[in-house]
Amino acid sequence: MNKPAWQTWLYHAVSLALTLLFILPLIWMVSTSLRQPGLPPPRTIEWLPQPLAFSNYPTIFNMLPLGWYALNSLIVAALAIPITLTTASWAGLALSQLRSAWRGRFIMLSIGLLLVPITALWLTRFILFKWLGLLNTFGSLLAPALMGSSPLFVLLFYRAFRRMSPELFEAARLEGATALRLWWEVALPLARSTIAAVAVLTFLLYWSDFISPLLYLKSPSLYTLPVGLRQLEQMDKTNWPLLLAASVVMTAPAVGMFLMIQHYFLGEESLLER
Amino acid sequence: MCDAGPSAYWLTRRPSCKVNVASPPSSRFNLSYRVELSLLLSPYVLGALLLIGAPAVLTTVLAFMFYDALSRPVWVGWANFYEIFADPQFAIARLNTLYYIGLAVPARVLGALGLALLLNAPRRGAGFYRAGIYLPTVIPDTAYALVFMWIFNPLYGPVNLTLKALGLPTPGWLADTETAKLVFVIMGTFQIGEGFVVLLTGLRNIPRDYYDSAAVDGGNAWQVFRYITLPLLSPWLILLTFRDVILSFQNIFTPVFMMTGGGPYYSTLFLPLLIYEEAFDRFHFGPASAMMLIMFIAAASLIGILLVLFEEAGYVEESHE
Repeated sequence: MNKPAWQTWLYHAVSLALTLLFILPLIWMVSTSLRQPGLPPPRTIEWLPQPLAFSNYPTIFNMLPLGWYALNSLIVAALAIPITLTTASWAGLALSQLRSAWRGRFIMLSIGLLLVPITALWLTRFILFKWLGLLNTFGSLLAPALMGSSPLFVLLFYRAFRRMSPELFEAARLEGATALRLWWEVALPLARSTIAAVAVLTFLLYWSDFISPLLYLKSPSLYTLPVGLRQLEQMDKTNWPLLLAASVVMTAPAVGMFLMIQHYFLGEESLLER
Repeated sequence: MCDAGPSAYWLTRRPSCKVNVASPPSSRFNLSYRVELSLLLSPYVLGALLLIGAPAVLTTVLAFMFYDALSRPVWVGWANFYEIFADPQFAIARLNTLYYIGLAVPARVLGALGLALLLNAPRRGAGFYRAGIYLPTVIPDTAYALVFMWIFNPLYGPVNLTLKALGLPTPGWLADTETAKLVFVIMGTFQIGEGFVVLLTGLRNIPRDYYDSAAVDGGNAWQVFRYITLPLLSPWLILLTFRDVILSFQNIFTPVFMMTGGGPYYSTLFLPLLIYEEAFDRFHFGPASAMMLIMFIAAASLIGILLVLFEEAGYVEESHE
């Protein structure tokens, strides 16, 4: 710590200003969600509305079955997480154990898959799901979990397993363990932080997913929370307090989950670090 | 210290021994084990074939068909392509998409780079700042769209209230053809958490020795950045830029769908929105597929260039080992 004091001050001033700028949308989301609906719009920036209208939250749950939609979202995420963890860690383990030529090919394939614009597949996935009878079921939302949800998750598990000592796997193999037992008894217990991180990233992916339910769901009883936000917007496009109260309901679990695991990939002992 | 004994292998929390002993091929790569490994890999490969491979092939076929989901598809050759290239909306959407990518991708990559350089060092408070920078990225995009509609509301949104208080002009933002696209660019530059983490990782992978020898040689901060950090970070920057270009096609959909629906006067009509409307509002499956195919080919050529670049630079194994 031989840096002059003014440099430290400058660092903190700049970093703090940037951090505040980045959390400003969240602050405004929460503060506006507590405005009394129907009041004249503010003339200056309002950090804390007067009076605080916590009743906006019960109101939106009465306007739409948002509780039901949130439950649907939770069910989808709760199913997606274990499936994703299984398929992604299987693929990651297999990649880490394959011969190097094949390993290289599959890693290139995964990076290639990361770069495919899913937008270009919407329509034909729709047709495919129709043939498979997955339309208007949670299956159409959960289908990506079959391939580990994202090639990124497979690569994260691959990285975690590659960093483990090969002797561990060797020893298990000599004992006659099958690949499945190796996965369950050796690989997974050592990859706890990767499991936590991938679980939360998977939650964020499915909790936030708007496009799949928009394209593939028809019955309101299956709608997830993001569709509810869209419905609320269509009901009253300018009722900002209510729209942003629903946004808070949508955002709070995501932020909470993120804060729980952020140190895994933002801390000094980073998940992605060598 | 290599004590990974046969019975205690699963108790060893942290491997204390990293020597890579060449294993007898018979034990590690015998047939049944290889079969088991392929079984573990199969959901991933099958899923990729089913969800990416098959739809991609189907898109290619449908691009040459007339199909409206009601009657049987009919082969029409290049007709869909003639149709979309004669369609003024497709031309507008291509230009708008290029405008968006041209502004948003550099802003996002450079923003992530600047923040990663600022917050890379393990200093007091750095963890808090990093988490703050990442936070907008975890906001679900529907909620993110709604809050930015409020923030950029021309009459009483916080941005225009601030500009007014400072005596600056207050644009119409989403209501104005001149500024509507810009709102989406600005929104995008706050959701750069992934790139930020990728570049933090890249910075940490640069061996300390490089910086130590630069300190001995007396290089100044700019020289260190220009001749050490930047070249060693370049594979990450390339990967990030390409992924960002592709992701832009995707990430722009929900905000535009929620906030403007392509208006005013088509000024925010981007390709994904046009494709959605062609396919799911008008049931023009053929032209929609043709548009998707063109987008797909554009993306694939980018991937191809990327792979060649990486292979030649020898970064492929390195960046994921």
